[in-house]
Amino acid sequence: MRNTLLGLAGAIGIALMPMMAVAQDITFATEAAYPPFNFRAADGSIAGFEIDLGNALCKKMNRNCTFVAQNWDGMIPGLLVKKFDGIFASMTITEERKKQIDFTDPYYQTAAVFVAAEATKIDFADKALGGLKIGTIPGVAQCYLEKAYPNASVQVYQNAEDMFLDIGAGRLDAVFSDRIQLDFGLLKTERGKGFAFQGDPVNEPGCFGEGIGIGLRKQDTELREALNKAIKAVHDDGTYKAINDKYFSYDISGK
Amino acid sequence: MTVADTADYLPFVLRGIYVTIALSVCSLLVATALGLLGAWAKLSKFSAARGMAETYTTLVRGVPDLVLMLLLYYGGQAIVNRIGDATGLWERAELDPFTVAVAAIGVIFGSYMTETFRGAYLSIPRGQSEGGKALGLSGWLLFRLVLWPQLMRNAMPSFTNNWLSLMKTTALASVMGLENIVNKATAAGRATHQPFTFIAIVLIIYLCLTVASDVGLRVLARRLRVAETI
Repeated sequence: MRNTLLGLAGAIGIALMPMMAVAQDITFATEAAYPPFNFRAADGSIAGFEIDLGNALCKKMNRNCTFVAQNWDGMIPGLLVKKFDGIFASMTITEERKKQIDFTDPYYQTAAVFVAAEATKIDFADKALGGLKIGTIPGVAQCYLEKAYPNASVQVYQNAEDMFLDIGAGRLDAVFSDRIQLDFGLLKTERGKGFAFQGDPVNEPGCFGEGIGIGLRKQDTELREALNKAIKAVHDDGTYKAINDKYFSYDISGK
Repeated sequence: MTVADTADYLPFVLRGIYVTIALSVCSLLVATALGLLGAWAKLSKFSAARGMAETYTTLVRGVPDLVLMLLLYYGGQAIVNRIGDATGLWERAELDPFTVAVAAIGVIFGSYMTETFRGAYLSIPRGQSEGGKALGLSGWLLFRLVLWPQLMRNAMPSFTNNWLSLMKTTALASVMGLENIVNKATAAGRATHQPFTFIAIVLIIYLCLTVASDVGLRVLARRLRVAETI
């Protein structure tokens, strides 16, 4: 009986061996819902700036990488329970998040800006923004709004898409969010007609942090070092610039 | 970089129907099995079985589907990892969203099915089993020939209800990243900036699925009623 049990345990161990070997590959989680950084291509594959950059980094490290789609709310929990090895999903490096996870060096830096109908005049000197109803999304944009305009009437949305629907429907006077997201998600689309950027893009480090980095588990220091080296390498050999120019008409590296 | 076309994404979204149907059917099987087991336990003469079934239905019916799903998905993964670390058997064993969804939906609807089958059993007139006994049937034969057909017939209306709401509950599994129609439609909506179009498509697909199963179950119910008219 004892021998049978030992044999069984051994058989299970052998059956699980390939699983351990697979663990050498790196799995990145992304939202697949934040074009042009990460989104679903029509064939169902995950594509975008971050996927191109991630593959370039992995090529530099000589590692196999895969991208999986993950809801935003589950990013940090999923990383901590090892559903994947890294968050490659336009996550801003903040002090708050650093309490739970580590980040690589920033791989892009963004700024937030207001968008409103061309005729709308926003009074930026007023802490209440003239009583206009402003939409934003959780994270850095919301943080800055609450700090800079504590008296403004702010509506926080779960995602940018819902916010765009509401400004289109006239429920909001203006939105405050990431510049690139507003550019691609709203202004460059059909429904963005008649809307324009208002004021200057802001990039205040208190809320905007050091930029966008790949989120990693604190104990995976080796992976972080390897990724940092690869980020530097793609900047040096021009790979980064080529990927940047494929998606944007301006430099987003923040360097 | 331009914004993609809506029609290109249609096949991608439609492929999610398969996942939605597979999830519904697998969850229904688990729920039905748990329901029969639970009903048996609740009607059992053993107080331990009755107590366990009572705890199960009270506990599960009080927890929102979404909460249980997220708890199993993230909490379950943490437990699996801890077992792996402690025993050294695996370094990484992924709890995939499909399995978690089947488990969560199966367990939740198992508790509703328990009440469905229990109620169906209790509504069989006592005389039926007494009559069966008078004919010399006992135990398994009495159950299979006399009680089971009536149990199924009585359970049908409530079973149909459970199935319809179960099918709609599968939409929730998209929060775990399971690529059902809701998940795929959301992704396509984001990529094309046309969320309404894809929400409407999901709505139509769900309507088709529920109407089709409504018709199917009505045919089944009619067949089960045949015995009654003789």
